[in-house]
Amino acid sequence: MFNSKKTIIASAVAGVMMASGVAMAMSGNGEAAKAGNLVTPDSSKNPELTGVTGHPENWRQIIEAADGKYLDGAVVKALLGEDDRMRLVQKMDPANPYSFEVADAIDGGPHGNMQCKVPEAFVDVHASAQANYNNDTSFVAYGYGTPIAEDALQVWKIHADADGNGLPPLDVGMSVQQGGDLYIQFCAMCHGEFGEGAKGYLPLTEGDPLPLAASDFNASAPVKTIRNYWPYATTLFDYNRRAMPFWTPNMPMIGDAGYMGITGYILQMNGIPLDDQGTQIEDSDFFNAEMLMQTNKYLENAGNFFCDHRPVIANERCMSDCPDYMVGDGTGDISSYRTAGRLPDGTPAYNVDQRIEVTAPGVGHHGF
Amino acid sequence: MTDKVVEKVAIQTEESRNQGRRAFLKGGAAVAGGVLFTQAAQSADIKFDPQKAVAPYAGREEITNVLQDQAARKSLGWGVRQYPYGMPSPFEKEVQRRTLEWLTPDSMASITMTPLQSLHGMITPNGLHFERYHGGGININPDEHRLVIHGLVERPLIFTMDDLKRFPSESRVLFAECPANGAMEWKGVQLNSVQWTHGMMSCVEWTGVKLSTLLKEAGIKPEGTWLIPEGADASGMARSVPVELAMDDCMIAYAQNGEALRPEQGYPIRLVVPGCEANMWVKHLRRIQVTNVPLQHREETSKYTELMPDGTVQNMSWYMEANSVITYPSPDFKMQGPGRYVAKGIAWSGRGKVDHVDISFDGGRNWTEAKLTSAVLPKAWTRFELEFDWDGSELLMMSRTTDETGYVQPGMPQMRSIEGTNNVYHRTAMVTWKVHAHNSEFGGMIENVQF
Repeated sequence: MFNSKKTIIASAVAGVMMASGVAMAMSGNGEAAKAGNLVTPDSSKNPELTGVTGHPENWRQIIEAADGKYLDGAVVKALLGEDDRMRLVQKMDPANPYSFEVADAIDGGPHGNMQCKVPEAFVDVHASAQANYNNDTSFVAYGYGTPIAEDALQVWKIHADADGNGLPPLDVGMSVQQGGDLYIQFCAMCHGEFGEGAKGYLPLTEGDPLPLAASDFNASAPVKTIRNYWPYATTLFDYNRRAMPFWTPNMPMIGDAGYMGITGYILQMNGIPLDDQGTQIEDSDFFNAEMLMQTNKYLENAGNFFCDHRPVIANERCMSDCPDYMVGDGTGDISSYRTAGRLPDGTPAYNVDQRIEVTAPGVGHHGF
Repeated sequence: MTDKVVEKVAIQTEESRNQGRRAFLKGGAAVAGGVLFTQAAQSADIKFDPQKAVAPYAGREEITNVLQDQAARKSLGWGVRQYPYGMPSPFEKEVQRRTLEWLTPDSMASITMTPLQSLHGMITPNGLHFERYHGGGININPDEHRLVIHGLVERPLIFTMDDLKRFPSESRVLFAECPANGAMEWKGVQLNSVQWTHGMMSCVEWTGVKLSTLLKEAGIKPEGTWLIPEGADASGMARSVPVELAMDDCMIAYAQNGEALRPEQGYPIRLVVPGCEANMWVKHLRRIQVTNVPLQHREETSKYTELMPDGTVQNMSWYMEANSVITYPSPDFKMQGPGRYVAKGIAWSGRGKVDHVDISFDGGRNWTEAKLTSAVLPKAWTRFELEFDWDGSELLMMSRTTDETGYVQPGMPQMRSIEGTNNVYHRTAMVTWKVHAHNSEFGGMIENVQF
């Protein structure tokens, strides 16, 4: 098991630094030889860094030599090492050609808007984008559209991003108490007066949530609330104004001031602090864009997000007598498997009414 | 009229017996998990032998009742234009999109699944394309609909639908897959149908304008690195799309399978992000803001992010991994006794073309390559088939695809070891169909099992 993202990043960065950018440790047993006709990474073994590699500088050649198959098991292993989990660590290094991360996305603490990118190793995507964009030097507009002034878009511009762009001016807002009143009027029937959820809609907050780290693969999934899961407070304002109340979104009667107040109330019920001292939002606080951006730095889970790492699994296409980890339950045992619930008479349950209407099983998610 | 023709069509000679499929048992054909594969190893000068061809019918009881004409043969049918917009035969009424009501608290933010078990080929009929609404389905008058491209561009522009159709167009067969496809199966299996396990996706031919054309038309600035597409529905659906993806092969589509987009798919226009999560394919598209930072919308932070076993979360997930599934035989069917079967299914990859599909009958130890039986197009469904002879013993059938980037679809235990079970999205590992042994309690039934 790896620990928190911060730990992973720290160890990965340390590894890269120790490897001085070019040194590369293959995880023993000469697995690199499997790469066949691949160009050998310009690496030297370093026993202290088992499993932790820096990416070889000739990664482009390695991919080209493999006919552009940048996710071929041997190519990925040559560039990122043998171990699935260590490959995941490797991909959090923004300098790695397989990484979706960009440098400012790995800030584990209070952070700005996190960015991700299409990895450099996805050479076909970049080549195509280049051809359609920067290399299309002869492009001249067809002239089929009509120019429009930015100012003409005031009503349509409902977007408020995690940097605070698109938030209303600082005089737009209301006290958290007033926001709470609006919440009771427009939100509580589905989300509960204190955000506890209602009518099958999930809670917005939980007093004692399950930890996000799984104790066991079969344990109940934690409910994802603003307190324990959301990385940005701006998202809450953006989404409320954009899409709530569900039956009549972007309601003029609520308006930007009301949406700001409701956002303040929901952040308050989630206990999101305003500063390092943990100062809580008070009922009398005038909640506006400035206060929203203050809370935006203090979401509990903010530092735990990282960019899409997939795929880190890099298998060979084995055709016969495949190794145990590819067979059955991952140990080679094909008698160990789970089935869906059976009907009362023991028959496997098919596409039948009795089965479709069963209560939601514990499937590791709470709605979409 | 001869009543008894059995001798004429099905005399089983010693020769035909030896050429029948049982002979392969003696002939050393490949055997894997109660399955053997026919091998074309005949020399070129041996011609088609009709007697040998019909040998499997030897001894089968013949129908002797004289066939009668049915009603359709005895009266006229309907005239043209009885149905100005044609519908499937009433006998196909069970072939429907279906939903699981317990998945969501209401039907306006919910999903239906495509009946993959009843589909053929690589195209999903428009009426069976899966639906995913975040704020209910809507009918938009195209005369009043507009698309705006603004933000970090030289010349903000507004387009009517007619404007968009004047641009050069492109038609591409592409799958659209909800990243929650298979979400119910992270902690084990829940339901026995490929409609439930893989039906949150469809594959149609999309026609529209390349997004790169429209972005250049508005003079996108070099500092514009993100696009925020936004819908005109109640959810105001939005995502953050990096400019590399947009310039690679995104489209703004106004047609699917040759006709206008269906309301369920975003009439009059939607964004198409080939190979990527279908929630990025914003429907009823009305605005694209070019920015230098992502939005961090609720649908890319609270939802559509993947909780890992250590409590970290991966976000900004775009590409759908290579995936495949056997649609026949699958749990909606039952094996009709030992004999020859043709396994059929679909493979797809968000990163390009399907290179290979292999099928295992023994839980993953041994594999046989299937034949690709449709066009092989990037980021589209590809059909595969494999003939096999079933001897009636228990099978654990899996399909595994390899895409043109070299990515090999993994098994579920391997994916679970990395991603845990609280991930919700991108459950793209293989599924396993257990074919119950012919002589067992549930003989011939096909059950969804998970290693």
